[in-house]
Amino acid sequence: MSLTVGIGLSKAQDPILAAKEAALKARSAAAEEKISLAIVFASTKLSYPTILKTISAYLDDCPILGCSAAAIIYETDIIKEGLAVMALGLPEDIYLNISCIEGIKNKTAHTAGEELGEKLLYGFQNVRRDLSIIFSDGLLKDSSGLITGMQARMGKSFPIIGGGASDNLAFKKTGVYFNHDVFSDAACGLLLGGKLSFGIGINHGWKPLGKLRRVTRSEANIVYEIDGRPAAEIYAEYLSSSIAELRKELKRIFILYPVGIYLSGEEEYLLRNLISIGEDGSLVFQGAVPQDCQIRLMIGTKESCLNAATHAAEEVKRDFLGKKINFALVFDSVSRYILLRRDAQKELQIIKEGLGKDVPLIGFYTYGEQAPLRATNYQGASRLHNQTITILGVGI
Amino acid sequence: MAEVLINILGIATIITIFSLVIVMVFKMDRIKQLEMTIANLQKSLDEMDEQAKLIVRTDMELNKIQEELDKKITGLYALQRLSRTISTTLEENQIFKTIEPDYLEELGFEKACIFLWDDIAGKFSLKMDIGYFEEELKVIQEAVDGDKNIYLDLIHNERAMSSATLPKSTMLREKISQEFKVRDFVIAPIIPKEGNKGLFFVGTLNLDISLTEGDEELITIFGNQIGQALENARLFEKTWRAQQELENKVEERTRDLQMALNEVKIISRRKTDFISAVSHELRTPLTSIKGYASILLAGKLGDIPEEVRLRLDKINRHSDELTHLVNDLLDISRIESGKITMKLEPQDIRNTLASVIDLLGVQLKERQIEFSSNIPDNAFMVLADATQINRVFINLIGNALKFTPPNGKIIVNSRKNDGQIQIDVTDTGCGIPEEAQDAIFEEFYRVDNLINQQVKGTGLGLSLVKHIIEAHGGRIWVTSKFNSGATFSFALPCA
Repeated sequence: MSLTVGIGLSKAQDPILAAKEAALKARSAAAEEKISLAIVFASTKLSYPTILKTISAYLDDCPILGCSAAAIIYETDIIKEGLAVMALGLPEDIYLNISCIEGIKNKTAHTAGEELGEKLLYGFQNVRRDLSIIFSDGLLKDSSGLITGMQARMGKSFPIIGGGASDNLAFKKTGVYFNHDVFSDAACGLLLGGKLSFGIGINHGWKPLGKLRRVTRSEANIVYEIDGRPAAEIYAEYLSSSIAELRKELKRIFILYPVGIYLSGEEEYLLRNLISIGEDGSLVFQGAVPQDCQIRLMIGTKESCLNAATHAAEEVKRDFLGKKINFALVFDSVSRYILLRRDAQKELQIIKEGLGKDVPLIGFYTYGEQAPLRATNYQGASRLHNQTITILGVGI
Repeated sequence: MAEVLINILGIATIITIFSLVIVMVFKMDRIKQLEMTIANLQKSLDEMDEQAKLIVRTDMELNKIQEELDKKITGLYALQRLSRTISTTLEENQIFKTIEPDYLEELGFEKACIFLWDDIAGKFSLKMDIGYFEEELKVIQEAVDGDKNIYLDLIHNERAMSSATLPKSTMLREKISQEFKVRDFVIAPIIPKEGNKGLFFVGTLNLDISLTEGDEELITIFGNQIGQALENARLFEKTWRAQQELENKVEERTRDLQMALNEVKIISRRKTDFISAVSHELRTPLTSIKGYASILLAGKLGDIPEEVRLRLDKINRHSDELTHLVNDLLDISRIESGKITMKLEPQDIRNTLASVIDLLGVQLKERQIEFSSNIPDNAFMVLADATQINRVFINLIGNALKFTPPNGKIIVNSRKNDGQIQIDVTDTGCGIPEEAQDAIFEEFYRVDNLINQQVKGTGLGLSLVKHIIEAHGGRIWVTSKFNSGATFSFALPCA
């Protein structure tokens, strides 16, 4: 038995009709093989348990993973209101385990990550582990902690890839899908083992600007001081506005001018999105910014963004060494969607062409992406990224 | 020895110190140079950082403009697509249905409604809504009717109003925001030239959207489009109704005419029946009168004085004329009622003509009228009833004879024309005035002229001829100029 893949999409407004339509399309594309897993992305309006129940009913009661999305990526189309399903039929020598962790706010993200890692490893003692795909609430304060927690259990170099669930850009509530449930403040994941081959491409295209500065005081995702001065003061200086004004325009600015953490040996800076500005003049980022690291202000253009997509697709291809890619998942930062606007579809066309037109592809616009770093000195450790286009290609 | 050694050491020390001093001097210079380089680098770095700030600010500015531009372009695209659908919609309610949430979102709004002012009811009526619950709409409807003067002013002044142009924290802005439950809004008038006017409201709760005057303009244009579409739809409706009315009227009139025609037909048949009956009734006494006159004239009842003979002759002659008239009338009514059917057979009109000339030869000679005919070889056989066609010639040539003064001419020509044979009977008589040319074929019509006053006639001859020709499926007409002769032409099917 080989790895079979079928994808389906629906733009219907009614949740049950949409779920049925997308599931049946995926079903027929998967050549009637037994479905072992479905990956589902749906817009906020459709993000209810009913769609998950309906989808699994039409797909051999298979387990489901997925999340809500600001916009869905389906081949080269961007769907704002709709639902996409990828039905996977896995060969018998491929091992799969899925799990979910809820109520992350009640513990630290790190412990939540440890628990998730533990659960995923269950029953995997004597099997080669390939990779883990995770979907987490994109509004979590410390998504980096989740990864370090998982790494504590699964190994620092174990590849973890995924995206932060997003909502309709309201930044209020996202949903993580696990079987028949929709959870907020949660993360779900799957662990694949056996003889899978996979390739990962991750790039953002943002360029550094101005002086390299040092984070002199920080704690997890909060930066208090840069070069010994209040962090917000320095950030505001670049944008020539007062801190009060900065707070107002934050949503627009964080997309365009994130902060980049310098990682020696890495091709690109690791980006961090600003989420809020603390009363004490601190900057709150979406991921961890370690103390003493060197950072710079980053600037992105449409052109550099699109070049990054070309690059990411090439990286996936390179990992496969000319072998067949069975399917691809795309985690595209919502920031890129906002920056590229009307050119957003061009990015998807670049990816499709880069991977090959016959590779079925779905994905979503994320609030943060998880993927390994490439430079050898990081030993393939995964990190939380912002503003990237992250592509996972999977084959046998 | 020791001294020498000390001296040498001393010299060496001095040399070393001297060299060290030299090296120190050089090093100091190098350090200074390095320090300067570092200072320069630091300066460049600081300058670069300042440039970076400049770049970021310019970029921010550009991005803002780009965003605004993108919004406008997206809005314009949406508007263009909407206009296309709206302008091809000719049903009023359908126009409102074409405004879908997707379009609205592209224009940057998630809530909308359209109110039309009902002049008769004296209130606004809701025609379209997006993004509201039913209970919310009830509240909005009440609020709009409550503040109708504000909105009627807007329609009256043909000016839009929006949170982009209304100064912040004005009563009006606050009021509208509250009533429609939005943060930003645009209200544009809808002003069709025909019928009820109204207003188009769009709004958003999205904090990220900064409404500009551009948005107000866009929505105003959209409002105009809706107005135009409504106008078109209403005009179409009106035209359609008018046409429908016209069609109804035409139908009604056609029905009236049909009825009138039927009535005329009935009357005509009654007339024919009446004439037929009366003619029959007349013929019997006429036959008796003529019979008795003949008996008297023959002297079978004894000799009669000359005076009486003269009178009896008159009675005889008049009875003949009357019989003739009654016969003509009877024939006409028979043809009209279809009682006489034409026995269609190939006829050689040269023969018919010869027998008619034979009959009228004496009169032609008496009146010194020259008769000629030109019947070509390809145009002499017609499909006709022998007796009836004979009467046609007798009547037409007889008429020509009657109205042609002495030394005149009568010519009969024939030719083939469109599968028919056309025969022209031309005379050099007094002609027929144009205004009488149609009427001469009617029964009892006689042209008012000198000859008619002198020569007797029934006014039935041409009518009978017309009936006969038409019963053959042919037609007859006259071309004439007053005082310069007349040509009676008729066409009969080819044999």
